[in-house]
Amino acid sequence: MLEMTNVNLFINEKKLLENINLKINEGEIHVLMGKNGVGKSSIASSIMGNPNYKVEGSIKYNGQEITNLNIYERAKLGIYLLNQTPMQIEGVTNAEMLRIALSEKTGEAINILKFNKELENICTSLELDKSFIHREINVGASGGERKKVELLHMWMLKPTFIILDEIDSGLDVDALKIVANSLKEYHEKYHPAILIITHSDTLINTFDDYFVHVLNEHKIVRNGSKELAKEVLTKGFKTASDTFVISEN
Amino acid sequence: MNKLLVSDIINLKDGIYNLCSKDGNLEIIIKGNVTIYLYDEEINNISLKLEEESNLFVYDYRCNCHDCHVTIEQSHNSKVHYNCSLQNYGNSNYRIDNNITGDNNESYLSIRNISHKDSSKITINVKIDEKTKNNIALEDLKGIFDGGSVMIEPNIIALSNEVVANHLTTIGGVDKTNLYYLMSKGIKEIDAKKILLKGFIYSNMDELIKNMGGDKNA
Repeated sequence: MLEMTNVNLFINEKKLLENINLKINEGEIHVLMGKNGVGKSSIASSIMGNPNYKVEGSIKYNGQEITNLNIYERAKLGIYLLNQTPMQIEGVTNAEMLRIALSEKTGEAINILKFNKELENICTSLELDKSFIHREINVGASGGERKKVELLHMWMLKPTFIILDEIDSGLDVDALKIVANSLKEYHEKYHPAILIITHSDTLINTFDDYFVHVLNEHKIVRNGSKELAKEVLTKGFKTASDTFVISEN
Repeated sequence: MNKLLVSDIINLKDGIYNLCSKDGNLEIIIKGNVTIYLYDEEINNISLKLEEESNLFVYDYRCNCHDCHVTIEQSHNSKVHYNCSLQNYGNSNYRIDNNITGDNNESYLSIRNISHKDSSKITINVKIDEKTKNNIALEDLKGIFDGGSVMIEPNIIALSNEVVANHLTTIGGVDKTNLYYLMSKGIKEIDAKKILLKGFIYSNMDELIKNMGGDKNA
């Protein structure tokens, strides 16, 4: 599904990531861990195609080279980034944005009744007030509500590859539970590949099995299974990094 | 809603009005709670006098504004929310003079301007007289250049110490971060930009004028 081969990433000529190799197959869940500032979010941005980053190497999606595609083209292929700080956009409602995005995706006019019904059902399952459907995107919304709004977008757009960039940060226990359950339900229903960037095990414990990659000093220094996440969370990055051995996934 | 063709000084009392002018001039005395909708580019001189205990909302939406001058007079215990959204395709000049001469008034002036061609100038002057008390004056002025240039001049002249006065002014292009955000949802760059420009203009308006504005959006 997604394959990064020998990827180097730069911003303003400064190297952020070096020789990143990552392969994520359909339906798999991968977790990216690392200290603040090591470049976890930069990996997310490089996959999504943020033009502020310069990429060397190859990023393929379903066998197609996407390194030179822009954000829109990657999103159309099914790649979706759920950010830790979702944007707020004045004057543009969630319904309006989704209607345009879905029309673009399907190439067909939207059945408004069906569209509204689907939005309402998703709001109910996310315990998100239905007024958010016609509210401006994330304007005046709390941190928890913003994450739920992003999930609302995800359920409507039905991506096949999802990047969750620290979406568990700033969520209270109840909101985190709703977000985690929603993601698990989506995964069981549509089997997307998911790349989770996180500092805690709360979200990843929702899933039965997953792969773990640890970033340190701009490189992936260790690959492993869920046991590796436990080790990192127990020992911490500094202690654990002493024992890090570069291994293949 | 009352649709009025105005050709003389009028008194508006408690209501919602959609105003058109015969000669481009509007001179209005406000009593009670009044909401005014303007979407007539030909109105270029507007004078609003708020009587005591009055509360005025104005939504002014213009697709082209060559030269417009608004005067707002407040004496005591009045409140004005003046929201104006402008899109210009040529040189334009929009000016508001808000004079507060008494106590306990509130003034909220909010302008959104997109300049598609040539230059656009916004001048906002709020003057609070000396010896006045408990007045609030806030200016929220934002401009986007999309092919043209924008100049905003925010002025607050507070001659009294007992006033809360603040202004926020920003000028720039279309926000790239917002653009990428919409593109990441699967919306083409050109459509994402249109959505953002329309949202910028509409964020200052209410539902009614959005419908009245119809296709005049970005």
